[in-house]
Amino acid sequence: MKKVSVVLMVMFLLASALVACASPEADSVLDKIQEAGTVVVGTSADYPPYEYVDESGNFAGFDIELMTEIAKRMDVELEWTDMPFDSLIAAVQEDKIDMSISCFNYSEERDEKVDFSDAYYTSEDAFLVAEDFAGTITNAEDVANFKIGVQSGTVQDEWVTTELIDAGLMEEANLSRYERVDQAAMDLQAGRIEVIVADSVPAQALMGQFGGFKIVFEDMLYTGPINIVLPEGDSELQERVNSIIAELQSEGFIDDLAVKYFSD
Amino acid sequence: MDIIRFIQYIASGTAYTLGVTFVALPSGLILGLILAIIYVYGGKIAARILSVYSTVMRGIPPIVLLFILYFIMSGTINLSPFWAGSISLGVISSAYQMEIIRGAILSVSGGQMIAALAIGMSRLQAIRYIVLPQTLRLAIPPWSNEAAIVIKDSSLVYALGVPEILRRAQLISASTQQPFLAYTTAALIYFGLVLFTNTLLRRLENRLRIPANP
Repeated sequence: MKKVSVVLMVMFLLASALVACASPEADSVLDKIQEAGTVVVGTSADYPPYEYVDESGNFAGFDIELMTEIAKRMDVELEWTDMPFDSLIAAVQEDKIDMSISCFNYSEERDEKVDFSDAYYTSEDAFLVAEDFAGTITNAEDVANFKIGVQSGTVQDEWVTTELIDAGLMEEANLSRYERVDQAAMDLQAGRIEVIVADSVPAQALMGQFGGFKIVFEDMLYTGPINIVLPEGDSELQERVNSIIAELQSEGFIDDLAVKYFSD
Repeated sequence: MDIIRFIQYIASGTAYTLGVTFVALPSGLILGLILAIIYVYGGKIAARILSVYSTVMRGIPPIVLLFILYFIMSGTINLSPFWAGSISLGVISSAYQMEIIRGAILSVSGGQMIAALAIGMSRLQAIRYIVLPQTLRLAIPPWSNEAAIVIKDSSLVYALGVPEILRRAQLISASTQQPFLAYTTAALIYFGLVLFTNTLLRRLENRLRIPANP
């Protein structure tokens, strides 16, 4: 008798979990945002100058200011949620946040799980090395001969993994993946790695912050355009965000921001 | 950024750390206490199920369990990262607290239960008035260990986006390039919290000690 009731209870729990998973998301997130009057946006505020914590402890940066303007034009309040970069996509998928802006590049792998807005900015990749670096890098693939550091979960990580390691050009042991890019910079300073592969804008910021670094190679490897990450299959929200991005681009707002944050 | 602001920024995460701990620790205690009683007095089947529960919960790293519980929960009920993280930590802690309390129950000699039943108490009364008062006292020293662990594990909720001490230290170390200062500040705050909690529990233990039972 006891056994039967336990089995029944487990079945009931499983069934209710399945029902909860299967129920379709009928409403657009856009409706939800407008109803609540607040858009909840996720970011990983450890990637200056795109997103970081400023002197008074507030979020600041290119992405932060851009999103603030987008929220203003959507006529809703903006609520930030900070989380580690590798948690962001999952959080959008699970509806924990409405969207995420955190210097996201488009990749097919990510596109299977979430949607992307139109690109709001185009960036390049850079190889950052110590000033006394003696090696030569003429083609991007030459970097395979050195010890590399990347931020885990970034497209640079994906590029090194697929184009260099999976292609048999380098050993996985020579790649260090860091949770944050400044940890990689510290290891570069300490000589534990030889090259950081990162987006060129944060790479330049690291050069300024740490000193003693130089960029030896700059090109569009994998990266290129950066986009806002949106929930999968929500075309209403996507159209709204895209139209605001187009507006901001034609008004020169985004170019002004780029000058403000990237030109030093 | 001047140093006072720097430290203030990290220290303002203490509210979240304490909040998470104050949800996780008591919810783990209540759940752990109930489960421990069921484990010891609930018969063979219950004991077997609970031993699986405890093995699984204690055999998986807390951060992995945290993600699993968080995403299971977010599929059914919509909780903020704070509540989801705190409850998940409470569930994880319940397995440890169950074992602590079970050990304490078993250290109360079985003859006391038989004696209580012999003078006409029901089983529940015996548990309530004879076993538990001794058990909870005995459980304080190992439990203070668990309290320290939960305070420190509360830093894991940063992965879900709760801006507690560790996450703030990370953010500020990324923007100011002063990792040593940032993490030392975080370490001192955690140390202070654990020291304070353990001192408090030591006092409680002394105050509640049964005189004849040193």
